[in-house]
Amino acid sequence: MTNTREITLTVNGTEHTIDVEPRQLLVHAIREELDMTGTHIGCDTGNCGACTVLKDGEPIKSCLMFATQADGSELMTVEGMEELPEARGDLHPLQEGFREEHGLQCGYCTPGMLMSGKALLDENPDPSEAEIREAISGNLCRCTGYQNIVRSIEYAAEELEEVAAADGGTTAASAFDGEFDCGVENCCGGPSTDRDHDATEGGEHR
Amino acid sequence: MKPAQFEQHEPKTVEEAVSLLESLDNRAILSGGQSMVPMLRFRLAVPETVIDINRIESLDYLEEDDGWLKIGALARHADVEHSELIAERYGSFADTAPLVADPQIRNRGTVAGSVAQADPKGDWGSVLLAHEGEVVAQGPDGERVIPADEFFLLPYDTTLDENELLTELRVPTPAPREGSAYHKLKRKVGDYAMAGSAARLVLDDEGRIEQAGIGLTAVDITNVRATDAEEHLEGERPSSDLFKRAGELAAEQSNPESDEHGDASYKERMVNVLTQRALGDAAERAGLVKRRVSQ
Repeated sequence: MTNTREITLTVNGTEHTIDVEPRQLLVHAIREELDMTGTHIGCDTGNCGACTVLKDGEPIKSCLMFATQADGSELMTVEGMEELPEARGDLHPLQEGFREEHGLQCGYCTPGMLMSGKALLDENPDPSEAEIREAISGNLCRCTGYQNIVRSIEYAAEELEEVAAADGGTTAASAFDGEFDCGVENCCGGPSTDRDHDATEGGEHR
Repeated sequence: MKPAQFEQHEPKTVEEAVSLLESLDNRAILSGGQSMVPMLRFRLAVPETVIDINRIESLDYLEEDDGWLKIGALARHADVEHSELIAERYGSFADTAPLVADPQIRNRGTVAGSVAQADPKGDWGSVLLAHEGEVVAQGPDGERVIPADEFFLLPYDTTLDENELLTELRVPTPAPREGSAYHKLKRKVGDYAMAGSAARLVLDDEGRIEQAGIGLTAVDITNVRATDAEEHLEGERPSSDLFKRAGELAAEQSNPESDEHGDASYKERMVNVLTQRALGDAAERAGLVKRRVSQ
């Protein structure tokens, strides 16, 4: 170990200061320096998504990034899911969904799938099947054929909505009262003032 | 596999990055890293020093300014994908962004890095060519602007000088009656293109094609323009017959190689089809722009 550098990573809410070589990949820092082996290494080439973690809320592949590049960021790994408020001290609704809907067989891809699922539901609490499939398109599963993974995420979306309703809180989906404005003029969901427009106008929005 | 040992620098300004480039030998620039990190891991690249430009905040932008759409070197694919400005005004960019790799890669990978990588299978080079865009580079002697046409040399090789840092991509803001689109054929979601076609059309007041740009992906040693098709389109009125002929000309000018995904003649036929589809969308969008302006 010749040249090492001190970096600070906040993982699942806990701050860690570690020494790393510049060439150390983020996934190795998480697994080997922090001993959190929930994040898997699958293909080692950036294709499979098993190493997906959330960096400042966004899903990234931790095998395609050096640990030094994450210095100062907030990371979330599968180990942090049970600590989230919506897990209420038990399995997170996404994890519960994977159990209920048989979203895993060998389980190798599951941590990455959970992270991609989490990122999706944070942005879009009521996704369509197509949106779920797009969100997990960077994660390979060789067992399930994906059907049950899609169902697992759908299960979690419903569960999360119920949790929010029971807590008297609101999710973005349940807060929808017809006054939603996505910010794009004459777009899909908004209460457009002018219905005469061609439906494809502004159709670039996705 | 782990990369070989390297020294690392994290410059905070473009000037600092350029002076590092000037003073160090055997170095690599790291931006989004979605191609560079695997290259380091497989030791296809074994630099002594890695210059990580991700901390240069001044390069993180995506905006219209002074008649150009400007894309800073640190704008990620996802920034383009989620931009309202892009969704409203730049059809080809809006088409392309969600077709690049997968969501995780798009959160890290940069548009400019993809162009600098100059993989002939990369999508953005075709879009840049179709829009007659430019590449802005910063070197020891200051800024240099390189037209997209003069940027790509060979696979993974460009006219960037070795002491230059690519800082910005830019394309002209749309004319009143302009539309653009990108169509890509890939084996499955997330893959590189087997073939792709970017088209941009500018119509005059009479509805004739004043300017046409077509850029092709994965069917030559670099991203290339389909100049014969462009010339055939200019001065004519958009029609399916016209686009059919343009598709044939683009296919004739393309030079794909046979591989496990398809033989060359199949890919040429796909260039034809994808070019016709891109032209069709571009023409439709040019019409929509006109309606919006006249309201």
